[in-house]
Amino acid sequence: MEKVCVLGAGSTKYGKLDDSISDITIQASVGAIENAGIEPKEIQAGYISNVFGVADKQVHLGPVVMSNLGISECPSLSIESACGSGSVSFREAFANVAAGFYDAVLVTGTEKVTHTGTDWTTTYFSYCSDFFYEGQAGASFPGLFASMARAYLHEFDATEEDLASVAVKNHENGFLNPKAHFRKKITIDDVMNSAVVASPLKLYDCCPFSDGASSVILCNEKFAKEHSKDYVKVIGSGRGGSPAALQGREHLTTIPSTKIAAEAAYKMAGITSKNVDFAEVHDCFTVAEVVDTEDLGFFEKGTGATAAQNGETKLNGSISINPSGGLKSKGHPIGATGVGQIVEVFEQLTGQSGERTVNDAKIGLTQNFGATGASCAVHIFQSV
Amino acid sequence: MQFISFKVCKLSAKPEFIEAAKAGNVLARKCTKCDDLHLATVYFCKKCGSKEFEDSILKGTGKVVTYTIMTIPPAGFEDLAPYAWVVMELGDYDLRISGFLANIQKPGDLPIGAAVKVIDFDDRGIVLEKL
Repeated sequence: MEKVCVLGAGSTKYGKLDDSISDITIQASVGAIENAGIEPKEIQAGYISNVFGVADKQVHLGPVVMSNLGISECPSLSIESACGSGSVSFREAFANVAAGFYDAVLVTGTEKVTHTGTDWTTTYFSYCSDFFYEGQAGASFPGLFASMARAYLHEFDATEEDLASVAVKNHENGFLNPKAHFRKKITIDDVMNSAVVASPLKLYDCCPFSDGASSVILCNEKFAKEHSKDYVKVIGSGRGGSPAALQGREHLTTIPSTKIAAEAAYKMAGITSKNVDFAEVHDCFTVAEVVDTEDLGFFEKGTGATAAQNGETKLNGSISINPSGGLKSKGHPIGATGVGQIVEVFEQLTGQSGERTVNDAKIGLTQNFGATGASCAVHIFQSV
Repeated sequence: MQFISFKVCKLSAKPEFIEAAKAGNVLARKCTKCDDLHLATVYFCKKCGSKEFEDSILKGTGKVVTYTIMTIPPAGFEDLAPYAWVVMELGDYDLRISGFLANIQKPGDLPIGAAVKVIDFDDRGIVLEKL
């Protein structure tokens, strides 16, 4: 198996963007190409992750991107795996480079939905659930995660304020990120006093719907060494699945696919959770980050909420979680999010993360899932 | 789709599953090899991988495992909010089902462990009621 590296990364700002989905996808791709210091003609394949291109009148984005990069002959494909699309796309690219099919590929995630309005997005996002049992019965994604939050608060010694501390921390980090959707600090009271969306979750427990695109160049180590000193090694990659509907899960305070993916990624990397310096995790809702940090092995089950409240997950705490601001503050353009996490890890490990830098970080982890964690991918990266 | 040969079950049990829910029941499938119980919408046993099942009609009563009260609902549910979406455990079976439950205003209305039952299936999917 070839050793695989991230050679460059680019991203648009996340938030409400005016440009079309095609344009933002190309902008992020060009950013990654320039950051990697390569020519488009060196790219041998394109992996585009996107969920709701139909909302901006463009699906089959790959050929549009490739044509605008002057490489229309280059093969591409589009991947949809709900909010986990980006990391799944990255994984497929990783597998193909590792197998030796390609020397260098483009991985770009993208989404453009804010022009559709909250009603459209809430409704269409619910199609990512097991619709027969969940979306059809009136469960939105805030509703599904609220059900997990209620189970967590019932089972463990944790409070809604503990969950709120996750949002406060992520806004502190996002405040330092020039590309974040929300660059404002919030307080526990702001979260607790925000409108109830689906009890016990309130508006500020929820990540926003965002537009945005993120891109990385993935290549084998020989290609990386020929082009740049500033690359990052991909040392672990794992995927997993969970019952699609919450009713099919024995426990509602853990996400099985995260554990399966993490175990595979740690095994490939030859490390444990204790070796990880920081992580970008899937905090679509505050409770999700708490569950993620436990499932990834950073905290014992049932203690993640308290750990967040105690500041252990803050920037340069005992383990920095979501230094980018996470989905909560940086934003959640669903097809882009998984790639955006990898952009953050690349920037952290190559000295490009400015004020939000995790001190002396050598190993970073990303965890990105689809729907309520029905699918998940975990990747581990190491600086050179 | 008749050209597809199914040795065990129909292509989809959803019509029968829906009919059972309308009568307040849950159509389940019991694995004839390992006795594991599934909702009738599955095709293979999650425990042993078998596709040999026998149908089993379960009474749609049980207890709340978890729930949310939806105040900002998806399209089609605007006039129904607030309502609950509930995961319930069926009776003494190791089997859960979820559904829509009307007229729930606050958490005190529906404590975890409260008794609920399946009463219908309509354009709100599986419909539950407090007992």
